[in-house]
Amino acid sequence: MDTKHGRRLLIALVALASLSTALADDSECKGPSADCVAVGSWSFALSLGAGVRTNPVVHQSDIPLIVVPQFSYYGKRFFIDNLDAGVTLLDGGAATLSLVATPGYDRVFFYRSDLQNIFVGGFPTLSGQTPSGSGNSVESTQPAGRAQRFPARARAVTYLAGPEWTFKYHSISGQLDLLHEITGRDHGDEIRAALGMPLAALAHGPLSANIGITWKSAGIVNYYYGAPGIYDAGAVLDPFLKLAYVHPLGGKWKFTAFVECERLGNAIANSPIVNARYVTTTFVGTTYVF
Amino acid sequence: MSNSRLSRTNTRHRCSASLWAALAACLFFPAAELAGAATAQDNDIHLELSPRICTLAARDKQCRTEVHAQWSAPHEESLCLVVLDRPSIKRCWEHYARGTYSIQLTFVDDLTFQLRDPELQNILASEVLRVIREALHYRHRRREPWNIFE
Repeated sequence: MDTKHGRRLLIALVALASLSTALADDSECKGPSADCVAVGSWSFALSLGAGVRTNPVVHQSDIPLIVVPQFSYYGKRFFIDNLDAGVTLLDGGAATLSLVATPGYDRVFFYRSDLQNIFVGGFPTLSGQTPSGSGNSVESTQPAGRAQRFPARARAVTYLAGPEWTFKYHSISGQLDLLHEITGRDHGDEIRAALGMPLAALAHGPLSANIGITWKSAGIVNYYYGAPGIYDAGAVLDPFLKLAYVHPLGGKWKFTAFVECERLGNAIANSPIVNARYVTTTFVGTTYVF
Repeated sequence: MSNSRLSRTNTRHRCSASLWAALAACLFFPAAELAGAATAQDNDIHLELSPRICTLAARDKQCRTEVHAQWSAPHEESLCLVVLDRPSIKRCWEHYARGTYSIQLTFVDDLTFQLRDPELQNILASEVLRVIREALHYRHRRREPWNIFE
């Protein structure tokens, strides 16, 4: 994303946020609710259950979901949301505009010990502490028919930052993030967009659906899945669909179940170190909110 | 005649004033409250709570504490301690001049403790355990449908 382009997008986001603020029929936060949180408060939750995230990278095992801690803190403007941090610039009730910093996602497939596998995907197992992605090399067959070794290399933790626009219209919530890598590893760009909506209430618990896309520039895709002279990837668009069911169990417990399916775009799926087209994440368990 | 008329007029005025006072009292005070207040004054029964205030911090949702109620009277009394809107809580004494009662309670709003006669008709004394919330400000939680656990 060049500076000019980025500035235009930021202006567009501010305009969108202002417009949705003006059209908002939503009221201010006056008490604790599903949408509102007390300023200055920390919240902690722990999900215990059974689940798995499939790993599309060759020689990498699937990622278990057993214990998933979650935490957040909301100041007047500043917030921490698991591994994300941000500053809310506009909070109009129906829409918010924030500047956020969030970790690059794809590293979870190469390092079981990546923090995103702890705070989003479950605790790492002892055997999973080795950064196996950096040690593996893969045979790659070139069009000429000559096999080449895909070089093993490390993938560092990266952080992306940029504006985030979220909105709520009736029961539909939306999110749009325009992110740029700021840790100097791949200088890539990423767009995350998603809509969440309730589908029905089943047995006193809501069933909801989230649909969205992740667009990654060639810089990000190549950092994780490419190798100079062997595989040069382009940008990629990964759509996903998630169905989730949450049923309050009484007190601070709730039953949580979800299944998410992400389709990897060609630039990732065609990489010599990728052997799957889809990443599926499933989880069934209980969540305790402290 | 005139004296008599004057006297009758005065009597009528006095009756009329008493009537208005009674009517006003009936209008503005429920009968039981009025009776209770009077009895409490007459009997001088003293009720004390400890703690008297529960302060909720920002992250607290409810008060959970042991409440100690103590009463004393100049003469032996038969009475019951009750808590408004908590019908399960009732402790009675017969011919005592003082009494104490402790109970573990969880509550989110003010609790009113009352000493009543054994028939629970008249309020003999009343004290309120107040809940004070730290002034909280709220903001919107981040909406994040992209997140896997959202």
